[in-house]
Amino acid sequence: MVKRIVTSAFFLTASFLFTGVALAQAPAAANPNGTSDLDKSDKAKSGQDVNLRGAPVPPIATPLDKIPVDKIKLPAGFKAEVWSHGHPGARTMVQGAKGTIFMGSRVIGRVYAITEKDGKREVKTMLTGLTQPNGLAFKDGSLYVFAINKVLRFDNIEDKLDNPGTPVDLSAAYNLPPEIHHNWKYVDFGPDGKMYVQVGANCNICELNPGIYAQIRRYNPDGTGMEIVARGIRNTVGFDWHPQTKELWFTDNGRDWAGNDGPQDELNRLPKGQEGANFGFPYCHANGIPDPDIKKPNACAGVILPAALTGPHSAGLGIKFYTGSMFPKAYQGVAFIARHGSWNREKRFGYDVVVARVNGGKATIEPFMTGLLDTGKNEFLGRPSYVFQMKDGSLLVSDENMGATYRISYSAKYRVSYSAK
Amino acid sequence: MLAALFLWALSAQAQTLNQRIEQCGACHGADGNSVMEKIPSLAGQPEFFVLNQLILIREGVRPIEAMQDVVKGLKDEDIVAIAAHFNKLVARPAGDKPDPAMVERGSLLSTKLRCTSCHGPALTGDQQMPRLAKQRIDYMAAALKDYRDNKRKGADTAMTAVIYGLNDADIDAIAHYAASR
Repeated sequence: MVKRIVTSAFFLTASFLFTGVALAQAPAAANPNGTSDLDKSDKAKSGQDVNLRGAPVPPIATPLDKIPVDKIKLPAGFKAEVWSHGHPGARTMVQGAKGTIFMGSRVIGRVYAITEKDGKREVKTMLTGLTQPNGLAFKDGSLYVFAINKVLRFDNIEDKLDNPGTPVDLSAAYNLPPEIHHNWKYVDFGPDGKMYVQVGANCNICELNPGIYAQIRRYNPDGTGMEIVARGIRNTVGFDWHPQTKELWFTDNGRDWAGNDGPQDELNRLPKGQEGANFGFPYCHANGIPDPDIKKPNACAGVILPAALTGPHSAGLGIKFYTGSMFPKAYQGVAFIARHGSWNREKRFGYDVVVARVNGGKATIEPFMTGLLDTGKNEFLGRPSYVFQMKDGSLLVSDENMGATYRISYSAKYRVSYSAK
Repeated sequence: MLAALFLWALSAQAQTLNQRIEQCGACHGADGNSVMEKIPSLAGQPEFFVLNQLILIREGVRPIEAMQDVVKGLKDEDIVAIAAHFNKLVARPAGDKPDPAMVERGSLLSTKLRCTSCHGPALTGDQQMPRLAKQRIDYMAAALKDYRDNKRKGADTAMTAVIYGLNDADIDAIAHYAASR
């Protein structure tokens, strides 16, 4: 009986949304709350502290001397320093052809432009008032900015950082869902020149319309030619392509309120020729765990299981394969993953950068940048969000809470002095 | 009217912190407890809450027409000081008196919806979560309806999800309950 009700409610929602899409350019009227009515989250049943909630992101810059760079620990020979600061809510990073680092954010609604001159960084707040402009991509002189249900293209942007002018509005062409929940974007151009776009689940855990939610899509840059590349993905917040195989690898954040220890977050790989493959949400999580609330027979049948598990509630966001030569051989070709850190877990977990060592279709995870989690006090000092490889082979890590980036570099000299301590 | 606002905004640039706080008080109450209809009290609000909201209003993420000219010239450090100021003031009852029957209904709803899990056991707020205790009933009810009806731009979806599906009477009851705390 219960099942019946859920099913019919699902169809109602689905047909309603399909109608919205068919009607076209005006975005489909969303559920007013931006989350699905079919969400099955049950805090009491989870056995977790029902008062768990996310920590706020400071909307103002942390002074340089309060940024905990001295707490960061790295393998021997690596060094972390503050590269830029004064940009609250620091998240995604892309680089323009002329060297500008563009940075997206969520709550504060800004896009920053960071330029470098004589070894010093200048931070400009380039765009303001956007709703969670987390998705950035750069191509042929243009910056693409993806906010909730808004896609803007700023042409020749590096020539007018102080006055970006009126962008080309591609929102109607991309026709993305208007809901806010799990819908801040991650985007990037693939090796095929297409724009890859995240569309998250409109709930924590629910039956959903798989034609619209829990996907990675790709489009022609102008927003035409949409294809669903991968399905059943609760919320990927970062992806990259393996430098040799050109296969798509992506992080995926597991459901909440099903216990402190899982289901674990995932690092996934979309094998070549498997476009449209299913990654399990909402029925199958992690290494083949059927969902306790949304049931179906053979929940994991036909599902591509993760290349690696990335920890309970660890919130892996940005991922980048390292293609530089500054880091030692052991790090060439690995993927760096920034783990933003848990909120739906009584003992905090993550708040670091890990290395994923790829071996065929699988990967192993090992620590890389640690020190921002005080396990004794159960407090975090910073929140790594995204990673970006600079032209010299150093790695930038953005810290959303500090409004700063760390530059991680390697030198055999550091290794000597480190050992001498 | 517009011209007056414009001139006032221009002069805002040269204001001292005390003048700015006085300006806030003109609507939100000199002691931070609002005597104006549908204008929230700020006395005793968590520092982070006021800081966060003023920045989001200034940035245009949470656009409020009546606030736009006031916040335009504010620097981060002004906002930090204003937030600290209102946090230190004592929240007192303001506006309409809570109705006991409504308070009781609101109390049951509050338990069911777990308002205290974010807003604190005494509804005095915490970090980004506002203090609800002793808030004006008319403001609180209007704010909740805006959340429910998705009219509050820039708001987190968590609040909307909690009260989704409540009718106006439920919301009024919660507002009475919060005001009584």
